[in-house]
Amino acid sequence: MQKYELIVIFQADLDEAALDAAVENIETLIKSNHGVIEKIDRWGKRKLAYLIRKTNEGYYVLVNFEYDPEEVANLRRALGFNEHILRHSIVRVD
Amino acid sequence: MTENRPTERNERSDRGDDRRERGGNRGRRFVSRPKFCQFCSDKKLVIDYKNVELLSRFVNETGKIRPRRQTGTCAKHQREVAKAIKNARHIALLPFEGDLWADSN
Repeated sequence: MQKYELIVIFQADLDEAALDAAVENIETLIKSNHGVIEKIDRWGKRKLAYLIRKTNEGYYVLVNFEYDPEEVANLRRALGFNEHILRHSIVRVD
Repeated sequence: MTENRPTERNERSDRGDDRRERGGNRGRRFVSRPKFCQFCSDKKLVIDYKNVELLSRFVNETGKIRPRRQTGTCAKHQREVAKAIKNARHIALLPFEGDLWADSN
């Protein structure tokens, strides 16, 4: 198990319920692969430094978690399938 | 003849002044920089790709990473800063090009 840091940028036009569902979805996705979530930090709406999919705003969520390094590629792929996610990044924490 | 000599000398000294002035201009193009690495001298200062305020100091107006000769960062920490800026760009915290928020709205 290795510590990771995930940043997800959701579409800013999602409503509260949809956001809660989306965050919970990520939570279960991580937990289903024996991942351990340490902290979920919602930064909220933020202006993007450049346009992504023609929008200049996004909803940022930071997730600190522990995960099996071999499974990270699958997690990345799963996040890529979610069309409400504008951008995601998984960075290893040393 | 005797009248010419001083004027010649004056001309020569004028040229000398010109050259010195040009040299001065050339020197002024370089921005004076801190002669120490901020991250080496302050251990509490952590390089984090999420810290936009810190990283934006290491990026110029066009969004490029500023060279070490301007920021004074040591080689080791410059590599870390560069990496962090690139991570920050990917998640749209810093621009790839252009000023931050310059063309917003």
